[in-house]
Amino acid sequence: MADATNPIKQFEIHPIADFSIGGWNLSFTNSSFFMVTSVVLVAGLLSLAMSKRALVPGRSQSVAELLYEFVAGMIRSTAGDAGLKFFPFVFTLFAFILMGNMLGMFPYFPAPGFHGFTFTSHIIVTFALALVVMAIVIGYGVFKHGLKFFSLFFPSGVPWPLYILLTPIEIISFLSRPVTLGVRLFANMLAGHILLKVFAGFIIMLGSVGALGVLGAVAPLIMVVALTALEFLVAFLQAYVFAVLTCIYLSDALHPGH
Amino acid sequence: MAHRDEPNQNSPSDPHDFERRLNAKLEARRAKEAASNPSGWGQGVRYGSEFAGGVLVGAGLGYLTDQILNWTPWGLLVGVLIGFAAGTLNVVRAAQSMNQSDDASS
Repeated sequence: MADATNPIKQFEIHPIADFSIGGWNLSFTNSSFFMVTSVVLVAGLLSLAMSKRALVPGRSQSVAELLYEFVAGMIRSTAGDAGLKFFPFVFTLFAFILMGNMLGMFPYFPAPGFHGFTFTSHIIVTFALALVVMAIVIGYGVFKHGLKFFSLFFPSGVPWPLYILLTPIEIISFLSRPVTLGVRLFANMLAGHILLKVFAGFIIMLGSVGALGVLGAVAPLIMVVALTALEFLVAFLQAYVFAVLTCIYLSDALHPGH
Repeated sequence: MAHRDEPNQNSPSDPHDFERRLNAKLEARRAKEAASNPSGWGQGVRYGSEFAGGVLVGAGLGYLTDQILNWTPWGLLVGVLIGFAAGTLNVVRAAQSMNQSDDASS
C-alpha cells in the first residue's frame, strides 16, 4: 500500500544486468533500458516511415516529413540557414528527448519490473545532454572563429574599464547555461510526474475508506485525467524548448560577438 | 532532401489527403505558438532556473577559487555577488527573447 501511493517510487533506478569495470558500477539499469528503447523506437519508426520513399507521402511518411520540417524550420528561424549544418544533432536531441518524455507517460511499460520510467526526470541525464550541447558550442566556436569566439564575453559598445566587471558576469552567465538547460527539463518532468502520482494516490486512499470515499475519489480522478493531458503537452513542449535553446546557443557559436 | 524547398508539383488528387495534411500542419503551428507563449508555470520555471543557475554557478566558482587559492572567504563573497549579477542578466535576456517571440507570432 505504501509503495502504491509513494509518489517518488517511480524515479527509483534498479539494475537489470549487473556489470562493473574496475570498481565502477556500470550496470544496465531501467534508465538505460528506456534510453535504448527510445533510440530504437525513434530510429525504427523513422526508417519504417521513410522506407517507401514515395513522392506523394503516405500517412506515416508525412508525419516523418512533418517532424523534419518542424525541426528544420526551428533551426532556420533561430540560428539562420548556417545553423542547418547542426540539423542532425538538433534533430537527434529533439527526437530522443521527445521519445523519452512520451515513454514516461506510460504508467506501465513492458520493461523488466513492469513499470514506467522517465529518464528525463533525472538531472544527471538532462545535465549530461546540456553539457554535450555546450561542448559542441564551445568546440565549434573555437574551431570556426579561433580566439574571436571569446569576444562573446566582451560585449561591444562599452567603455573598456567596464570589462573588469562585465566579463566575469558574462562568463558566469555563459557557464550557467548548461545548468539552466538541464534543470528546466528535469524540473518540469519531475514535478509533473510527482503531481500525477500524488493525485493518483488520493484515488487509492479515498477508495479504501468506503462508499463515501469511492464517491469522493471521482474528484481526483478527473484531476488525473486533466493532468495527463497537460503532461502530454509538457512532454512535447519541454523537448521543443530544449531544442530551441540548443539552436540559440549554437547560433552564438556561429556568429559570436552580438 | 535536396528537393525539400521545391514547390509541391505533385499535389494529390484526393482532397481528403490535403485536408489531413493541412490539419497536421495547423497542429504543428499551434504547438509552435503554444511553445512561444508558454504557460505561467513554464515561464516561472524558466525565469527561476535562469536566475538560480547564475547564482549557483557564481557561488560554485567562488568556492572553487577559495579552495584552490586559499582566499577564504573572498572568493565566495565575490562569486556570489557576480553570480547574482549574472542571474539578473540571464533573466533580462530570457524576458527579451520571450518578448521577441511574442512579437513575432502576433
